[in-house]
This record gives sequence, structure tokens and C-alpha cells, in this order.
Amino acid sequence: MTAIEIRNVSKIFGNYTACRDVNLAIAEGEFVTLLGASGCGKTTTLNMVAGLEDASSGDILMGGRRVNELSPVERDVAMVFQNYALYPHMTVARNIGFTLKMRGVSPSEIKERVEKVAAALELATMLDRLPAQLSGGQQQRVAIGRALVREPRYFLFDEPFSNLDANLRLKMRAEVKELHQRLGVTSIFVTHDQEEAMSISDRIAVMNGGRIEQLGTPEEIYARPATRYVATFIGSPRIELAAGEIGADGSIRAGAATIPLVAGAGLAPGRPIEFGIRPEYVTLGDSGIPATVRLVQPVGPTTHVTLDWEGGMLLANLPGFVRLNSGMPVKAAIDSRHLLIFDRQSGERLSH
Amino acid sequence: MSFARLREGGPLRKTVILAGLALFTFWSAAPILWLIISSLLEQKALIAQPPDLSPQNFTLENFSTVLAAAAALGRGIANSLIVSLFSTALALVLGAPAAYALARLPVPRANSIAFLILATQMLPGIAIAIPLFIVISKLGLIDNVLSLGIVYLSFNLPIVIWILRGFFLGIPSGIEKAAAVDGAGIFATFWYIVLPISLPPLSAAAVFAFVEAWNEFFFALILTRQQAQTVPLVIAQFAGQYQTVFGQMMAAAVISVAPVILLAVLFRNQIIRGFADGMMKG
Repeated sequence: MTAIEIRNVSKIFGNYTACRDVNLAIAEGEFVTLLGASGCGKTTTLNMVAGLEDASSGDILMGGRRVNELSPVERDVAMVFQNYALYPHMTVARNIGFTLKMRGVSPSEIKERVEKVAAALELATMLDRLPAQLSGGQQQRVAIGRALVREPRYFLFDEPFSNLDANLRLKMRAEVKELHQRLGVTSIFVTHDQEEAMSISDRIAVMNGGRIEQLGTPEEIYARPATRYVATFIGSPRIELAAGEIGADGSIRAGAATIPLVAGAGLAPGRPIEFGIRPEYVTLGDSGIPATVRLVQPVGPTTHVTLDWEGGMLLANLPGFVRLNSGMPVKAAIDSRHLLIFDRQSGERLSH
Repeated sequence: MSFARLREGGPLRKTVILAGLALFTFWSAAPILWLIISSLLEQKALIAQPPDLSPQNFTLENFSTVLAAAAALGRGIANSLIVSLFSTALALVLGAPAAYALARLPVPRANSIAFLILATQMLPGIAIAIPLFIVISKLGLIDNVLSLGIVYLSFNLPIVIWILRGFFLGIPSGIEKAAAVDGAGIFATFWYIVLPISLPPLSAAAVFAFVEAWNEFFFALILTRQQAQTVPLVIAQFAGQYQTVFGQMMAAAVISVAPVILLAVLFRNQIIRGFADGMMKG
């Protein structure tokens, strides 16, 4: 069943269009991430779902009902903000309980529910502290507690971890995912961190220039990006693209290099393209494209190797530690089944 | 200039900064110091050229004389308290919601309205004194504490609105969004969230308004006769037609500035934070 549906929604600020014709249907219990660089319209979209901003056009439906004119409370959403947005003058207990107080819940019940949530989030010993006396991670947990205590129908997260340090971010990511698995509340999560989006989501909507460029599971987005933009935005290390064209024999030609494609790929010869391959499908060996090692960056489980070849740059992600020096000539073999090929004009991916 | 940065500098830099601060402190405090000294000097020593500051000339006589004739001063202080508290309290009660509306609600042309409010303060007092006098005397409210309070309210309200609006504009909007998601309407957000975190600028605005009203002389002179006279007028009366008893005048002045200084000391931290937050971000 569809829990949240965004239909042809646009948002215009003066002469700036933040979102144009956004369409998105989210199933009950699903965890969907809006992913994109800053200014792509992801937070504006979230704010419109929350009821904090009006849509300039289009409809927002929740539980099958049009909610454009409803306040956040009437939509039954809870939201976790980027800067936590805790009330600085209230203790942890009052921060978490404020929403219940606004709903006229009795003080004894507020106390009980706040304590329950605090226990679940390991905040039980901090209920009397002020936000300023907490660490960033604790503050973020209070913000999550504030969203949880109400048992809302929908959770909205606006870059909730971007102010945390790297370790804490990983920990909170896991906590939110576990929370979602346990409660199954329909959630929309906004982030600019593609790895965070991949690891936490059922589906990802990659946004660019106010539009959803691709909507799909993390695997679809990664392995079958719809456009050049999605391909380069997703994945770390980043994919490098090179310009080329389809040769008469159906292979890719880039300068003097020829990269054979699987027979019967069916791409019209002479078509100008861009192509690239995820670094894990590149191996170094006795045959392949001649290249020179530019940079070797071991990260532990793998080593990122940056290569220069005739078509530009190529990244290889090799297992373990490798003995390579910059300037060394190598041969890079690529698994052409995993080549990503894009039309040079439209940027759309061509299947082969 | 924070103290942390002061500590970082070299010795020369420190000396220059500290000397500058000392000079500024002296510059600001000297009149008050001189006020206190002259309130403690006998008339003869005070008007000598140069003033004779030898210890035997110091006396509390000025204070005892002023306090003995306390009726006028006492009434003046009472009137000043009423006028100042009334105009300050009302300026806050009316000004805070107005400032919040102008800062946050979708009020059309909020900036223009705020500027108009400020513009009312740009008229010289003398320009509105005569019309104001005519209005108030037609209403039969000359020499009335409350009418003076209302006049002061009209001066204080714009100042309060500007100080608070500047602060409200600087509150991260995330907090108010969070309140909206938590189910708080505009009034609940204002009451439970915005006002409590605005205590520093509220105190600063309150002290500022109070001092403005407490020290005001010109309109008090025009709009009062006897019953409603405020402290500055009572002090001025020590300047007689034939002679001015400076010592007594100064003693009365010391007594009258005491509440203001007390206020400033008590709320020192809030005032500094309030002005820093409100005016710089505004």
C-alpha cells in the first residue's frame, strides 16, 4: 500500500525553481532516501512532505488523503533535523516530552513515555541535563527520541548525521536502520552522502537540479545508473568516464585503444559515447589497456589505484595491499560486461 | 575582542589594548566618580578653584539635608518608578509579540513596517512636544503619571521592537520548525520556545527602556507640574533662582542613579549578551 505519494510537485522561490515535477510513491513501512548534492531540492521536498513548506503546485498524499493544506501535526509526521534543533532551555526530558505536552497528554503519562524512549536510546541517565551538556551523538539521540516518543506514522530525517564525526555517523546509521527494522515506520531520509544512502535505504531517489534523476534500490542505482550524473555521484571511489565512440565492429574506440564489447551489444556504429567502469571490475595483469600508475592509496581491505591511460583516468580497486609505484607501466583488464556506457549528448545510459 | 585573543597577542599588543580599555573605562566612569565626590563635598570646597579635595571637607551633610527634605525627592522617585516600570512593562508585553510577528510571520512588507517604526524615533523631541502637549492638556491629563508613562511607552516600544526583532531574526529557524512538527502553534512556539530563549535580549531591552524613562527630562518638564514630577525634575529644582546648592543636587542625583546602576549591575551578563545578540545580528 502506498503510504506517501508525491505527485507532480514543484516548488518555486521567486524566480528559482527548487523542485520541478517531483513524483515519488513510498510504500507503507518503506525507507526511502532522497540523495543529492546541496541545492538539488531534497530538503525542500522533505519540508513539503513535512508540511513546513507549501508546494507551489502538485499534490502530496499521505495514507491516500491529500494533505497539502494540513499542518505537520495533522500529517502525523515526526522529523529529525540536521542541527538537532533541540530546545536549548529545556532538559532532555522536557525536550522529548514537549510534543506530548502540546497534545495535552497528562504529565504522568508524559513521564512514563519519555522514560521508556530514553531507556531505548540510552539516555535514561541524562534526562535532567540541558542539550549544551550533551555530546553531539547524545544530542542527536535526543532529537530521535523526540521524534519517537509520539509514535508517529511517518519519520522524516533531514541530514541527521552530517554534524557528527565519522565514527559516530556509522554508529547512528546502524541505530537508525535497526530502529526502522524494529518499528517499520515509513521513513524519508535526506542526505548528500551516497554511502549513507546506500547502506540505510530500501530505495534511493537521486535528485539533481530539482528533479528525481533515478529512483531505485541501492543495487539498481549502483549497478545500473540511469544517467551519467547518477553513475558519477554514486560510488566511492568515484567512477571515471572517458569519451569514445562505437566502432564499425561494435567495440568501443577511444583514441588508438579498442575495448571489445560482448557480441551483439547492438549499439549503432559511430555513436558518440562516454563510458566508464566501477573500480572493482578493473584488474591489473598481462593483458588489457596499457596504462601508467599515477597514485596508490591503500585503505586496508583494498587499495585504490589511479591509472592514466590514453582515454584519461581509470580507477582500480584491488584487494589487499599491492606493490605498485607511481610511474609503473601496467596493463588494465576490464570486465566489459560491467562497462557503463552513456550517450554523450543526453547523458543517458545505453544498455549493451 | 575576546579575552582568548587578548591572551594570544604579544606583550606590546596586550599593553596597548589594556591601556585603551583603561582609558575608556576612565572616560566612562569619570562623570559618575565626580558626581559621587561632589555629593560628598561641602559647597565652599566644591566651588573653590580648583576644588579643595582635602579630607576634612568631605561630609555626608548634603545627603542628610536632601533626605530631610525628602518629600519632594521621595515623590519624585515614586513617580519615576511608576512611570518607568509602567512604560517598560507595557513596551515588553506589546513589543515582544510585535517584534516576533515582524521577524517570523508572513507579514506583508514587514521590513518597511519595521523601518517605519524606527522612523518615528528620528523626529526630534521638540517637533512633537507642542502637539503632544496640546493633545494631553485637551485630555486633561497634564501632571498625570500615567499619561507621562504612555508618552514614554511610545518612545520605548520602537526600541524594544528593534532590539527583539534583531534577536528573533537570529534564532535558527530549525528550532521553530521542530516546534511546529512537535505540534506547537504560533502562540505556543512563542511562549514555550522563543520567549524563554530570549531572556538576555528581553533583559537588555527592559533595562534600556527603564533607563530611558528614568532619565527622561524634557517631556517630563513639559507634561508635569507638581504631582507627577519625576526625579530629574526634582534634582533640577536644586538649581535655585539665586543660588545652586551643587552638593545637595549631586547628593539627590546619586540617590536617583542608584536604582539604575543597581539594575545594570544585576543584569550585567544578560544585557551584554542581549545587545550582542540583538543588535549585531539584526
